[in-house]
This record gives sequence, C-alpha cells and structure tokens, in this order.
Amino acid sequence: MIPARLKRAFARTFAACTFAVTSFAAHAQGTVNVYSIWPENWARPMFEEFTRATGIKVNFVRFSSGEALARVTAEKGNPRIDVLFGGPVETFAAGIAEGLFEPYKSPSFDKLPARMKHADGQWIAIADDPLVFMTNEKFLKENNLKAPASWDDLLAPAYKNMLQMADARTSGTAVTRIFSIIEVNGRNEDKAFAYMKKLRPNVQIFTKSGGGGTLPVGLGQAGGGIFFIVDALDTKAKGYDVAISFPKEGIGTSAEAIALIKGAKNPDLGRKLIDWATSPAMQNQFAKHKINFVPAHPDVALEPSLAAVLKGANIFPIDADFAGKNRKRVVDRWIAEILNP
Amino acid sequence: MTGAATLRRDPAVALTVAVLWLVLALFVAFPMATLLARIFFDKGAFSADGFLAVLTDRHQIRAFWNSMLLGVLVGVGGTLLGFMFAFTAARARLSRGLLTVVDAAVLLPLVSPPFTTAIAIIFSFGPRGLITYELLGLKGVTAYGLTSTLFSEILTFFPIAYLTLRPLLAGIDSNIEGMAQSLGASRWRVFRTVTLPLCVPGLANAFLLLFAASLADFATPLILAGNQFPVLPTQAFLQITGLFDLRGGAALSLVLLVPAMAVFLLQRYWVSRRFYVTVTGKGAGQAPHDSVSPRARAALLAACAFVAVAIIYFYALLLYASLVVALGANHTFTLAHYRVIFTEGLRVIGDTLIIAAFAMPLGGLYGVLLGYLVTRKSFPGRRTMEMTSMVNYALPGTIVGIAYLIAFNEPPIELAGTALLIIACYVFRYGPTGIRATIALLQQIDRSLEEASLGLGAGSGTTFRRVTLPLILPAFFAGLGVVFIRSMTAISATIFLVSVSWTLITVKILENITELSLGPAAAYSVLVVVIVFVVIALIGLALRAFRAPGSTRVTSLLGG
Repeated sequence: MIPARLKRAFARTFAACTFAVTSFAAHAQGTVNVYSIWPENWARPMFEEFTRATGIKVNFVRFSSGEALARVTAEKGNPRIDVLFGGPVETFAAGIAEGLFEPYKSPSFDKLPARMKHADGQWIAIADDPLVFMTNEKFLKENNLKAPASWDDLLAPAYKNMLQMADARTSGTAVTRIFSIIEVNGRNEDKAFAYMKKLRPNVQIFTKSGGGGTLPVGLGQAGGGIFFIVDALDTKAKGYDVAISFPKEGIGTSAEAIALIKGAKNPDLGRKLIDWATSPAMQNQFAKHKINFVPAHPDVALEPSLAAVLKGANIFPIDADFAGKNRKRVVDRWIAEILNP
Repeated sequence: MTGAATLRRDPAVALTVAVLWLVLALFVAFPMATLLARIFFDKGAFSADGFLAVLTDRHQIRAFWNSMLLGVLVGVGGTLLGFMFAFTAARARLSRGLLTVVDAAVLLPLVSPPFTTAIAIIFSFGPRGLITYELLGLKGVTAYGLTSTLFSEILTFFPIAYLTLRPLLAGIDSNIEGMAQSLGASRWRVFRTVTLPLCVPGLANAFLLLFAASLADFATPLILAGNQFPVLPTQAFLQITGLFDLRGGAALSLVLLVPAMAVFLLQRYWVSRRFYVTVTGKGAGQAPHDSVSPRARAALLAACAFVAVAIIYFYALLLYASLVVALGANHTFTLAHYRVIFTEGLRVIGDTLIIAAFAMPLGGLYGVLLGYLVTRKSFPGRRTMEMTSMVNYALPGTIVGIAYLIAFNEPPIELAGTALLIIACYVFRYGPTGIRATIALLQQIDRSLEEASLGLGAGSGTTFRRVTLPLILPAFFAGLGVVFIRSMTAISATIFLVSVSWTLITVKILENITELSLGPAAAYSVLVVVIVFVVIALIGLALRAFRAPGSTRVTSLLGG
C-alpha cells in the first residue's frame, strides 16, 4: 500500500505542476502570435523593430511555407495565431482556397501595384523575391564552366548529381521554381515537365526548405542550385565563394506576403503588425539588417548593391491566380513524375 | 486474497490504480483511438479506402521495404559493433582509464540530438567532404542515400547494443571458458561453442532494439536519405507537414505500427525469457580466466579505438563548427554562435529545460508507482495496465506525435500549444523505461523482506518507506535519467507538438540545419550534450549515495 504521506506528496506535486504549467501557458497574453515563413535571422530583427516602434510583443515560430500552411489548416477550427508572416504569395493563394484568412486592407494598400496585393485584401505583399541560379565558383572553375545563363545550361553533364533545390512538398521556393519553368515554356505543362525530367539526374537532393541547398552549394558539396535571391546573397555575404546568375529565358519572382488569420484571437494587434509590415516603416529597415528582399512598397528605394545584382536580369512575376488554382495539381504531378519516377 | 478484495481492503491502492487508469486512458488510449478513428472513419462512416490507398501506393510500398531493409541492416551492423565493444570491455582486460574513455565515446551518440552525426557525415563524406575530397581526393561521391543513412544510424544506435550486451557478457563467468579450454578446446572454439551460444538471446534482444530504434528515427533519413531512398517515418512527416494530409500521414504511421508491435512483443515475451544464467559455485574474487589471445586482444582494441576515434572526430567537428564563423568558408574563431543561442535562443533553452524539469520527476514517479503496483499488488486488469503503459513506448515517435496532435487540438480536451502536452508526451513515452527497471528490480527482491518487516510489527506504510522504497530508488533514478535525456534530445514525436508559446531545442536545431545557420545548430548541439552529461553525472552521484543491492548502472538502462 502507498503510505498516505507519499500519496499526499504526489498529489501536491501534481497540483503544483498543473498550476505551474497553466500559468506558464498564460505568458503569451497581450502579444501578437505569428507563424513566420521568413527564417529567424530576418524575421527576428523585423519583429524587434516592430516592438520598438509600437510596444507590441511578437510571439513567433518559424516554419517553411508548406509546414506553416499545414499547421494553419489543421488549426482552422481553433486558430493558434493571428498573422501569417512572409512566404511566397502562392502559399497564400492556396490558403485562400482553404478559407484561412480574414480580408484586411492596410493604409498602404492603395499605393501598391496590382500584383502586390490580393484584390479583396486576403493578403498584401511585404517584399518581392526573384529566383536566381547560384553556383559554386570553385566547381565552375574545375569543370571549365561559366555561371549558367540559360535553363538549358543546367542540363550539362558536369552538373550530374551536383544540383540541390527545394522539395515542392514542403517549400514555396520549389513551387515558384516549377511555375517559372512552366512560364518559360509558354505554359505548356508537358514541355515543362519534360525539361524537369531531363534535369532530374542532375539533382543530388531535393531539400526540405527553400534555402536548404545554399550551404551545400557554398561548401561545394553541391555544384549549384536554384534559390531565392535573399538566400543566395546571404550565402555570399557569409563569405562563401558563389556566383549568382539569371537565365536569359527569364525566371520568376514571387511576392512575399502577410495575412490576417480568420478567427484570430488578437485581430487588432494583428492588423497593427500588417499596417507596419506593408508600409515603408518596415521595408526601409531591410538594408540596415542586410536583408536582400526587393521592397514591395513603391516609396522604398532599392538598395544600390542589390540593384547592381539585378541589373539586366530578365525577371517576370508569377501569376498568383494561375499558381494558386493549379498548385495542388502541379505539385502532385511533380511528386509522381519527377520526385518518384 | 483476490484482486478485487485487495482494492476493497486497501483504498490507497484503489485510488492510485484509478488515477493511473485515468491518465493512461487520457494520454495513451484516447489519442490512439482518435488516430484510428481519423484513419478509418470518413464523415461518420467506416471506410478503409484512405488506408488502402496508402497500402497500395507503389512509392509508399517502396518506402516501407526501404524502412525494413534499413532496420535489418542497422540491427545487424549495430549488434555486431555493440558486441565487439561489449566483448572488448568485458574480456580484453582494459585499464580503468581506457574503459572510461570507451564508455564516454559510446555514450556521446546516445545523448546527443539525433542528427548530429548526420551533419558531420555530410561534412566529411560529401562531394567536397573533408575525408572523401580533401583527404582521399575522391570525386563525384554522394553523401546521400542508403550507405550514409545506414552508417549514421549504426553509429547513433550501436550504444544501445553495447549497453544491453555488456552486463550480459560480464555476467558470464569466464571460468566456464577456462574449463572448456583446459579440456583441450582452442580459444576460438571456446568462443564459438561456449561464449557465443550463451549470448544468443542478448544478441537477438539487441537486434530487435536496434531495429525498433531505426524504425522510429525520422531525423537521420530526413537529412541523409535523399530522394533515392525514401523511408516511411520521413514520408509520414512530409505527408503531414508538407502536403497537410493528416489522414494520409496517420495511415502511413499505422503501417509502421505492425512491425513495431511485432518487434516489441517478440522482445518482451520471447527473447526476455530465454536468458541463461551461469552458476559455477566459485567465488567471484577469483582471477578471471584469460579468454582472449594477445593477438585477438590487439585486433579488438584497434577496431574499437578506430570506431571511438571516428565518434570523437565527429563530435570534435561539431564543436569546431560551433566555434568558427562559417565552416568551410571562414575559419576565424568566434563565440558569436554561442552569443546567438544565449540571447535569441535563451527562451528555447528555457522552454526545453522547464519541460524537461517537469517531465523528469513526473516520469520517474509514474514509472516507480506503476511498476510497483503491477508487480506487488494484485488487482483486476493488472496485466492490461502493464501492456497499456507500454504502448506509447513501443510505437515510433511519429505515430505518437501525430496521435497527440489530432486528439488534443480541439475540444473536449484542448491541450495543443501547451507545455503540458509536451510533458505528457515525454512522461508516457519514456516513463516506461522506469516501469521496466522497477519491475526488473522488484523481481530480484524477495517478498519475504517486506513480509519480515510487517511481521516485526511495522505498518505497511513504514514497510514501503523503510524497505521497498530504498530498494527501488535506483529504478526511480534510472527513470529520471531516461526521461530527462529524451526530453533534451527527442524530436520525432514532439516536433508535432511545438507551438508559438513552447518550442524545443531539438526542433530549433533541425530548423537551423535546414537553413544556412550551421553555427548555431552546432552550438545548440554542444550545449545539449554538455547539459545531459552534467545531469547524468549528478544522477550517477545520487545513485551512488543511495547504493542499494541489485542497483543497475543508470547508463545500462538508457538503451531501452
């Protein structure tokens, strides 16, 4: 038999634990809760600036776009966050189909060009992010290659098993890449998939997140890959010897968006974050924190060194409606035909 | 006295049993039932379509067989390596210092976050790997696929085999080997016909434990398997987090349940009954027989040293990566990564430690209470209780995590996003190690000890406190240790349970690895290893203070 004293001690410990746990859970009050698709090293300084400017605290976790969307969808009946922050617009387009967002038009809404906002305010862009080719300089030199200047350059045998790019199941970068390929092939999907099939043997691994391949390319474990410009320039800034180039046929750019969650528990705080993020107040801070996004707001000037990289590049926007409508089907086809042939 | 009568006569036991059944129902039966319901019921009607769709998808079938293949290979490779280490430690007459080094090297992979070897392997064996390219000048090597996943999992899990085989080998009286040899058998023949057959149940046990560990591991394949070698736990993870297909992911996990349960039952009810005991009637003080020839001893030592050096090299690389600006590009010394984890990461570290600090005593207490009740008290449903308590422990973490996510996200029991859910996950998933330890200890202790105390006039309360409790303290500390270590290092279940309010170091490490932030990932890993080593040392000290007959070394229980 259990002695009464031990029993009492057990009961007391258990009660203390439950109390402590519930009071810890309450420490999130009075703050805005966010899933950030931007990696922590960019999201954190932005949120700190926001807290400095408004006094509102930001509680956030970072997920890659597919994971974040999966979470928000799974939590639809009982939302755990107020704002979905960052991430390519096609992720938000898929979210609209699930009825995840509460339309909201921030004060900057009218100033933004049409492709930087959803007509009803389901999402608003906070930045623009073109894709680039990033290759390892040492790898190029060893194989007597120039930095790739065409999509077909990536098919060269020297790249066999040496490219890394993101997995469309989890990454928005991958989805933007696939829609870029569909676009440069005149929206002829069969032609686009034929190209991806030819590219497949050159792909060493499809990584879980969009930037997952940047470190291997920087280290030379992979020869090159297709990444968003922020990730590529960040790799370069860390000191890795990489080349950044653009295909002459053109490559897609994806707006990075923000949206208010339907049923959010702190909608007013969420709106304040959206007001701030869609205005120059946040986007003027990109350069200071060395975040190489192209600002979405027309009043914010492009940082000179970023402008130099983008000079002469053939960049086109991905049609958000087309991408949103076809995302699931195209990703399923990609899984069936490219990932697991 | 019948079970029901015990409960009537002893309300304290009845109350504890009722409470245990309540928490088991809430945190084991309810999530599993919800998971099954989610898979097999579509809009209120029974439907196996979703499940069958997964079973017949050829990619998933391939992933299933890949998982089996990987599990078997890890089982075989890890058991061999573990046996080699255990045999060397038990028979090659190592000095104390050398033995400590071997023990520490073997413990490293066991107490570190699951993907630390995976990163080190990419650095060492990739197309530009430190070893493959810089050292050997090989080109076109790939670091992804079966070989590297296998290599990494063997290195991570072989300590489990070592820890289960070493006490077994130490328990075989080497004088038996001596007798066989004096009857004219060669050393090799003695090893083959005496030592090895005595170890067979232990080897089978180690194989099954390793197979199960590999089946539950999704982090290593996530980083190393690449796309040519998909395995089920990773597929289930991607199905849910990537394609937000909860049903499909749950169905995939359920496929894993079959081999996992089979292995667990085999291990529990077949292998564990076939251990041999060697009784020679000679005092233990006698000089042990010399069962290994000098040449074999040298070979064994060299092989073990090679593996130990490999492990130490991997962790040294990790430490180095945490101390330079950017491994591979800028090798300037910096403490910046540690500055990052102790400023930005401070909350995560705090969250993890708070969760571990709550899970540890609760898990230890749960293990001792349940273990004590099912061995010493008879009450209806005793066996069922023991079996139920083992469910979360036997299943791969992915299944448990998914079941918790589905069951607790919405009312009636809404716990998603709270620390309580993560703590409960750890307590019911790793507490069973304490249950097993308690049961094993109590089986060695004769009831007559307690009866003597009662007969001498002590009350049952005093008997428990003064006799039983000190005897099972080692099991309590073992339970504490395992729950703490797993709370610091596990990821497969809890990755589904983190939230904006509560997140864990392991999840952070995985996030950092998949981004460009290798330095912070390495720094977090080093921190985890250090914290765990300190806590193990403290538990070891506590154990020594409470040294009781039949106490087991805490480390030998970590493997389970």
